[in-house]
Amino acid sequence: MKNPAHALFLLFALPISAGEPITYDNLPLGSESKPLLLSTYMPDPGLDEAYFAHHGKSAKSPKYNPGTGKDIPGEYDPIKGLPASLGVSFGPALSYAFDTVECRIAYAWQGGFLDMYPYWGDPVRGSRQSYDYVPQLVGILFHKANPMSEIFVDGKRLTDLDHPKFVGYNLENGTPAFLFSRGGHEFKLKVTPNTKTPLSFSFTLSSPDKIAITYDTPNGDRTTNTLTRTVTGTALGNFQGFPRDMKIKEASVANGRKLFDGLGCSACHSVDGSLGHGPSLAGLYGSKRPIEGTQELVHADEAYILESIKNPGAKTAKGFPPNYMPPYILKDLEYQSLVLYIKSVAKGQ
Amino acid sequence: MKLSSILTLLAVVATASADDYTKCYQLDDIALPNGVPPEVGGLTFSSDGWLYVCLRRSDVFRAKPGEDPKAFDWKLFASGFHNGCGIYSPEPGKILVTQMSDLTSATDTDGDGVADQYRIVADDWGLSGNYHETNTFCPDGKGGYFLAIGTASHNGSVFEHTKGEYSVFGRRGRNFSSVKNRGWILHLDKNGVITPWASGFRMANGIYTDPDGETWSGDNQGDWKPVTPFYHIEKGNFYGHPSSLVWDKNWPKDKDPLLTYRNDLDAYNKHRTEAAVLVPYTVCRSASEPIMIPRNGSFGAHYAGQYILPDNNGTRLCRIMVEKVDGVYQGMVTYLQNGGGLRSGNNRVAFSPDGKSLYVGQTVRGWGAPAEGLQRITYKGGTPFDISTIHITPDGFRLTFTGDIPDLSANSFQVSSATYQPTWVYGGVAQNKQKHSVNKLAKTDEHTVAISITDFVPEKVYEIKLPDLKAADGSLLNNNIFHYTVHKIPGASKRSGLPF
Repeated sequence: MKNPAHALFLLFALPISAGEPITYDNLPLGSESKPLLLSTYMPDPGLDEAYFAHHGKSAKSPKYNPGTGKDIPGEYDPIKGLPASLGVSFGPALSYAFDTVECRIAYAWQGGFLDMYPYWGDPVRGSRQSYDYVPQLVGILFHKANPMSEIFVDGKRLTDLDHPKFVGYNLENGTPAFLFSRGGHEFKLKVTPNTKTPLSFSFTLSSPDKIAITYDTPNGDRTTNTLTRTVTGTALGNFQGFPRDMKIKEASVANGRKLFDGLGCSACHSVDGSLGHGPSLAGLYGSKRPIEGTQELVHADEAYILESIKNPGAKTAKGFPPNYMPPYILKDLEYQSLVLYIKSVAKGQ
Repeated sequence: MKLSSILTLLAVVATASADDYTKCYQLDDIALPNGVPPEVGGLTFSSDGWLYVCLRRSDVFRAKPGEDPKAFDWKLFASGFHNGCGIYSPEPGKILVTQMSDLTSATDTDGDGVADQYRIVADDWGLSGNYHETNTFCPDGKGGYFLAIGTASHNGSVFEHTKGEYSVFGRRGRNFSSVKNRGWILHLDKNGVITPWASGFRMANGIYTDPDGETWSGDNQGDWKPVTPFYHIEKGNFYGHPSSLVWDKNWPKDKDPLLTYRNDLDAYNKHRTEAAVLVPYTVCRSASEPIMIPRNGSFGAHYAGQYILPDNNGTRLCRIMVEKVDGVYQGMVTYLQNGGGLRSGNNRVAFSPDGKSLYVGQTVRGWGAPAEGLQRITYKGGTPFDISTIHITPDGFRLTFTGDIPDLSANSFQVSSATYQPTWVYGGVAQNKQKHSVNKLAKTDEHTVAISITDFVPEKVYEIKLPDLKAADGSLLNNNIFHYTVHKIPGASKRSGLPF
């Protein structure tokens, strides 16, 4: 768009509270202005057993043969997952899981949201993955809830207050603010991305009651009844969604395009020069690229493109935040196909 | 009036007993927004005329329906729901949706056409992490709701950590109830008090309270459900799928209900409540949401007051007529529509406010080849050549035609009967099969004929076929196969003693 003012006008002309509809795209993504909220099964990326204080605990169960109506040797193993959580995506800036059973932020990550493929299934065939249907994370996990909350309410840890009860949420200009009660108090929790510091988010926890809400210390002022805080984490794991065999038999532009769409690259990188969460690939290959933290331009050759896929944090394109893209571990033919496709896009093919 | 119109009118009158069904009922494909997976989990009209459609991946769209099926102006009203399979609008600008973990309300508080306030209305059931645990609901007609809470499937897992308490016994078997109130119908009264109402459901994928305040549901044929049942729902009853009993406060904690009833069918048969109408698998494979055809004739006087039971696994809508004999509901099932462009996956139904159009939402995602979308069946007038009702008599049945009685003899009928004993086996076979003859045939009025049946005993499902029946003008009967579930024969105290 040639006229930036026009672009700005269009942006604000859109109703802020109306999100984008869910499509067959198994890699849905919100944005900072239009966060996406999904009530869904969500993965458990290794939360501590003690975290699940208010969940039920399942068990192995004898295998059953529906043909004979009898148990047979072997056992069904329970799988990992959060049964009743709300996934929220602000685009690559921040995603988090709000657990409606524990009434807590279970974990947070950056650089993507959920791969719904195992659950929603192939757009054409429509089948979920039989026993492996929990949606999978895309991005860099940087925060997992500790069993004991760092938040104190009138000197008591939030997690020591009994009867967590999820009430619902309001969309405040599209951003969810969760309501719950615990220990006889009502709370409102609102989480937002913090774009100033990598691998972090901000939250505000407030209550209509006259209580002190503090972080890392039991002592606090009762008159505030509000806590605003930024939580900064470290990279705890990289996730690239459900492992799919794209059945790539040769390196080609067509296969590169298939991967580009299938892996969700297109959610952030345009191929026509338009703005996105990440740099456009139009004209990228062969150009000189400005990089964050250095005055020197970098030549966008094959090595640069490969490095940007394998280790995106090595060089961050100027004007874009770090950690918005997770590293992608692929097969050699897949890397080669993506490079061929990105080269073809640069040439305008 | 033009001459051509007069001629058309005369033609309609002349062939009043033999209109083609497709001329009486028009089927349209309603376009949902482009690119949106049209997996219809719920469907409802609000009092201000919006048609709300709940799609299973997240979103609720609404539109004011118009003539043109391709030109509905859909707006996204609410989103974020986890497999929402039930929707109702209690007041303008507010919807309720049953998703996997709860019943949630979504309200547009600022009038911009988009919901901004979401509240949990009820969640007195567990969620194991199994993919199959969908729920649906209906208003009870008194400001409250009935909720049908689905079971899990052995084709999926449970999570290590569940929402709510976990039961080891509840986890056993094919379809199972490992977390609280799975396989139950719950009642939520207008004050928000929730009561377990009835147990024994495998997957009551659709529940309905009719204008008389009677509540009905189907269930999904499978283990402990040999055929598709149409249940009259009453408080305290057990409807036959044992797993849910682990959440019954009267069931001993140390007893595995699946094993108990697998080994003792007599005790099982004493405990369970039978379906009002049994629908053989060949007629309906997977019942979804029932609804009553308006009594005012807006959808055809010939079917008024009967129930529609859609098939989620076939291109058909069943038509059910019930009557009470000695205090027990029983009745007849046939088709309203079988094929004719109707998709499979028929899941939810709603009548337009004028009662002339039936909206049918479809989805089968995860259970077969995708058949998803929204269709509309509109009554255009006329009367198809059909049998509208079948009532029981002390020695057989009384069949009422929609028009003049065609030429009939005892040989026009093929009558047989069978029983269906629920067991742990998936589906079931017909037992105690018997052929019957029509030994008397009498016209009781100009549209009605009574037949008496040899060896007519209760507690069986009777199949009545009229294979080659034609109207006077040669048109075929719209339906020529009917099943009547006989619990009671009027005036007769005899019981067959057959497992039913």
